[in-house]
Parts: sequence; structure tokens; C-alpha cells
Amino acid sequence: MTKPAQPSSNLSAYLSHELRNALACIHQFGNILVDGLAGELTGEQREYVGIMLENASRIRSVLDSALDGVAGPPEKCATKIEPVTKLET
Amino acid sequence: MEKTKILVVDDNPTIRKGLSVRLRANDYEVLFAEDAISATAALVTERPDLVILDLGLPGGDGFVVMERLQRNDRLASTPVIVLTGRELAGNRDRALQAGATAFFQKPVDDSTLLFAIRKALDVSCGELRFDD
Repeated sequence: MTKPAQPSSNLSAYLSHELRNALACIHQFGNILVDGLAGELTGEQREYVGIMLENASRIRSVLDSALDGVAGPPEKCATKIEPVTKLET
Repeated sequence: MEKTKILVVDDNPTIRKGLSVRLRANDYEVLFAEDAISATAALVTERPDLVILDLGLPGGDGFVVMERLQRNDRLASTPVIVLTGRELAGNRDRALQAGATAFFQKPVDDSTLLFAIRKALDVSCGELRFDD
């Protein structure tokens, strides 16, 4: 019998697939608009699509680092635990 | 002069549409397949010059398509650019080992993809190996 995949691995794969595809669509069509492949944009329209693309890039960066963290080796996301001294009140 | 023929294999119709707009604007002829079975059929009947291949496909994944491509002597030299939403870990190395010319995670910059296409078409027999 095949051992089921770990939940964190499944979640990471699911998020990667769903979010990257959705983001790719925003990225593709935003750039199609900016490049004038669907007709020329006004200056204001270009500015708004630019804002959209800039934020899509920001999500992409977050996604890259978050999913690398989830999918990476344990030491990459390990938390260092140190003893805490209780303060006298 | 005949246009360079690119087969886009992706089960997401919006991705296919976006890629087709971009590729046609760069003077490529674009063909589509939405699953591994129709992709394999299109490879044989259409003989594309290059394939842009998603990994997560119905009817067998992108690795199955690459395996079938490699087994066919007449098609084995067709460059394959993998464009996927899958994670890097466990997929990039496997795709390159399976014969992919390049591996990109979605979303990829248009200029990067177009550069990879031009380079892949310039180099015969899949000798080019690079990723993002």
C-alpha cells in the first residue's frame, strides 16, 4: 500500500499549482495590455495596469519564499528555541 | 516562409489563450493540446518545432508526454520548455533529466520565455540546458 503524502507537502503542492496558475493569468494578460497587444492604453489605464502587475510581482515573491520554506529541507524552516529567563515582577 | 510551429500543452484555457496572444504577436504559429493524450497525438501529426509543456495534465502528466517524445526517434530532438505551477523540488531536476530544454515556474516573464524559445530553436538536439 502506498504511504499517503504528508499534509504539508500536499498543501504546498496545491497552493503552488493553484496560486501560480492564477498569478500567471494576471501576469500574462496584464502584460498583454501594457504591451498594447489588445489595443493602445491611455496613460491612466497604463498606470493602473502597472500597479496591478507590480502587486502581482509582490505576491509572486512572497509565494516563492513561502513555498520554498514549506517545501524545503527541515533545517530551512527550523525554529531556534532558546531558554527564556522569567523576569521578576 | 513557414512560421515556426509551437505546441502549447496546458489544461488551463486561460493560460493557453494568454500564451497564444503573446506567441502569435511574436510571429509563431500556435497549436494547442489540453491533456497528455491529445499532446502525444499532436506531436505525431503536427510535428511542432517546439513544445511548451505543463506538468500537471489530465490523462498522464507532462513527464509521460516527455517520455513518449523521447521514445520516438523522429520526435526526440524536439525542444521542450516546461512551464508549470508545480514546485521546484522534485520537478525541475526530473524534467531536465527527462529531456526538457528549460524549466520555468509560472508566472514566467514574457521576455525570459521568448529568449528561451529562441535559444532552444537555435540549438539542435536539446543540448541547451538552463533554467531561471
